[in-house]
Amino acid sequence: MDDLASLDATAQADLVRRGEATPLELVEAAARRIEKLQPELNALTTNRIDRALDDARTDELADGPFRGVPCLIKDLACTMAGEPAHEGTRVLKESGNTADVDSNLTRRFKAAGLVVLGRTNTPEFGIMPTTEPASYGPTHNPWDLTRTPGGSSGGSGAAVAAGLVPFAHASDGGGSIRIPAACCGLVGLKTSRGRVSVGPAGGELRYPLGVQFALTRTVRDAAALLDAVAGPEPGDPVTPATPARAYRELMDVAPPPLRIGVMTTMPGTTDPIHPDCVAATEATAATLESLGHHVEVAHPAAFDEDERISAFIPLWSTKAAYDVRMVSDMVERSLGANDFEPLTWALAVRGRDVSAVDYELALAAMQVWCRRFMQWWTDGWDLLLTSTLGEPPVELGVLSTPDEPFRGFARGGTFTPYSPAMNQTGQPAISLPLAQNDEGLPIGVHLAADAGRDDLLLQIAAQLEIAQPWSDRRPPVHA
Amino acid sequence: MTDLAFLDATAQAELVRTGEVSPVELVDGAITRIEKLNPQLNAVIHERFERARSDAAGPLPDGPFRGVPILFKDLMCQVEGDPYHEGMRFLKNAGHRADHTDNLAQRYFDAGFVYLGRTNTPELGLVPTAEPDAYGATHNPWKSGITSGGSSGGSAAAVAGGMVPVAHANDGGGSIRIPASCCGLVGLKPTRGRSSLGPELNEISSFLIAEGCVSRSVRDTAAVLDAISGPFPGDPTQAPRPDRPYRDEVGADPGRLRIGLLTHNPIGSSEIDPECVTAAKSTAELLESLGHQVEDSYPGGFDNEDLVAEFGAVWAVECAYALDEWGRKVGRAVTADDVELLTWGLAEAGRSVTAPQLLAALASSQQASREAARWWADGFDLLLTPTLGEPPVEHGAFASTPENPIGGFIRSAAFVPFTAQFNISGQPAISLPLHWTPEGLPVGIQLVAGFGREDVLIRVAAQLETARPWADRIPPTHA
Repeated sequence: MDDLASLDATAQADLVRRGEATPLELVEAAARRIEKLQPELNALTTNRIDRALDDARTDELADGPFRGVPCLIKDLACTMAGEPAHEGTRVLKESGNTADVDSNLTRRFKAAGLVVLGRTNTPEFGIMPTTEPASYGPTHNPWDLTRTPGGSSGGSGAAVAAGLVPFAHASDGGGSIRIPAACCGLVGLKTSRGRVSVGPAGGELRYPLGVQFALTRTVRDAAALLDAVAGPEPGDPVTPATPARAYRELMDVAPPPLRIGVMTTMPGTTDPIHPDCVAATEATAATLESLGHHVEVAHPAAFDEDERISAFIPLWSTKAAYDVRMVSDMVERSLGANDFEPLTWALAVRGRDVSAVDYELALAAMQVWCRRFMQWWTDGWDLLLTSTLGEPPVELGVLSTPDEPFRGFARGGTFTPYSPAMNQTGQPAISLPLAQNDEGLPIGVHLAADAGRDDLLLQIAAQLEIAQPWSDRRPPVHA
Repeated sequence: MTDLAFLDATAQAELVRTGEVSPVELVDGAITRIEKLNPQLNAVIHERFERARSDAAGPLPDGPFRGVPILFKDLMCQVEGDPYHEGMRFLKNAGHRADHTDNLAQRYFDAGFVYLGRTNTPELGLVPTAEPDAYGATHNPWKSGITSGGSSGGSAAAVAGGMVPVAHANDGGGSIRIPASCCGLVGLKPTRGRSSLGPELNEISSFLIAEGCVSRSVRDTAAVLDAISGPFPGDPTQAPRPDRPYRDEVGADPGRLRIGLLTHNPIGSSEIDPECVTAAKSTAELLESLGHQVEDSYPGGFDNEDLVAEFGAVWAVECAYALDEWGRKVGRAVTADDVELLTWGLAEAGRSVTAPQLLAALASSQQASREAARWWADGFDLLLTPTLGEPPVEHGAFASTPENPIGGFIRSAAFVPFTAQFNISGQPAISLPLHWTPEGLPVGIQLVAGFGREDVLIRVAAQLETARPWADRIPPTHA
């Protein structure tokens, strides 16, 4: 047991600031933890420990709020110049692809003083809610190595839960921050659309569903990290209103009494939500009431309409086709079914024949649904409370089914019944590790706020963290 | 009536507020002017005078423009129950009426405006002149037979002729700025997401379009922007909020601004008319005399002919999508015989575009926007260009032929080399009436600010309006 492993990033940064630890000591300790646990977890795809040690030694390490704190970056979209960029694909792994530039978010991480030790595992192009790519093999959940850490930010989820680093980059186009947060017992804030720049490669007009941020163990880390990385970069196509004050300053300010709707049914069907998840939601509802909030059974009627996910197949399949084309351009050869996983290829084949007009139609229908869905917040509700998932973390191999690719993909629908809606609307949502089931597996609870209200989510999360703390819980596999 | 006709909306509202004039008197005056001028100008295509009179007599919202007459362009800004034709014979012949009121129209009503009718637009707003087959050509009050610009050409002719002080306009490629330039008006295209496009449209799929108005004074433009900005539930994005109302920027010191001057076509595909070059250069001198720093410089990113071609595909897709939608709504597919040559030619091109191709075009335009934005981030406050490549042209200049159905579209590129870039980037831009040809035709100049910085545009526009006032310039055809 390494004492540093249990400290969050804020605490580790404080040690550096007070001179009680050096950046090098923090990074060396994280490197040791990675070397020890990576064989069991397979959380990282590649590491840059030697370069990270150099980064920690240099005077050029930025004097930001997280100076010297070790972290990891998911190997999807958030590129780092000179480092591998494989996006879970065999093709880019085999071609040894490396990135030309730091993404805007990587630059912000560096400016915050963070030291990057490597890249974490992701399913191919981030398509699955589990992390079992053919290229790098499955990542294991530190709470039960036979189970999924969730996805697509499963490598980051496993790494943070096991204490390798205090937080890690993650991204969310359908739940990919929140799902691993729920599976691994972490805080997973899906930020508002445009809150964190997805450039230079990404853009919300081409892919409005996706956001980038991180998985953390504490709410204060999420708040302070968001302060460090939020805010527009030149050319960002959409930029939400900036908050009146720093997110970290809200940690000590209790939210006003809120009106909270609670939902424990499966959207659009009568299929049950797993009792462990229902129990977690109901216990959180009781806690929120005890904190003075008004909680009642309610949810936007539009949540039960098919349109809540109707845009996903056209948008994701088109994106898969586009991603396949981009990878073909990068490796300068035409690629086929044998180069990608069966699900990726099947989606890409579907996507390449979608007409632009049909794509626009799907996007327009999605937006009309979003207006119906978001009206609920304008009608006087502050938060929607649900479980993050429809069931506890499932075993590896349940969601990823290469022999019948769409079977596992469809199975993902009951696993993640709630999270994709907020990618359509662009509103923020957070998964909090507020429960465990009898087997000791983490059960996440999900709160969604009105557009742009990342601040309110962080405030209520901080309040719940005090009321129902989780910091003492450690998975069996931990540094 | 000339005394009321050329008072701006702010002054007319003030007369109502002080009780010197009633809303009914203002509306009656505007109706008289429209009845007198419209046979010459063909600016207003749907009149609702009796209802406007009754609106003016009834309780009006106590907004900043209480009782002031306004016209809406017949493209977006729908009002439930009113004719709504988007310049299409197909909809005119179907007797189509709007089935809902757009969020923007509601904002205009809440501001106290009294709505008198709808103004002419080219079919689907596709060309920079208002000469639809459906309703015939709108004439420029400065010279009959000359274009009033487009697509908001009906609104601009109405305001320039003195029918109403402001009229609704929108801009997906220059359609506020172009008619402002042609008619000697103020035309501000706001930042993406400043006003809601809902409930039907949204800022992700219609990311090129910004809503606004054409007016005769900078203070009217500022106060209208205050009245119409702000999000509605479910808007997928919203522009960064200003620190204070825009009307407070009128007369505020803009400071010493660093301004780049561009007077050539950045992709080199056409010459810029000397009158347009003179307009921009004399404005540059004026800005220098006001203490600003002007240098020959302009942003990169958009000086790329491939991007123009790629982007044409986005327009074509939008056109095909619109025809499909109207076919669905009216219950009969739109055929080649139902629409103008250009419309059908573009739609045919749009139908052949695949969704991954659309994403590739969006990625290229995102890249160009990021590169261009770097110029502002690196220290420039404003870009100064002529608004147009030529003074207002004669009617028929952008007509297509059966042999070359998109010929009119291609011809218009030389007329509008400076505007569409900022629809792609989402930045705010304004056309100001600072120059007239020896023949007496208006030539506008364009100023472009960084994303979200309408405040800078309004401060400098008000400064220019004071330095080189245009309020006394009245066109030959006027009320």
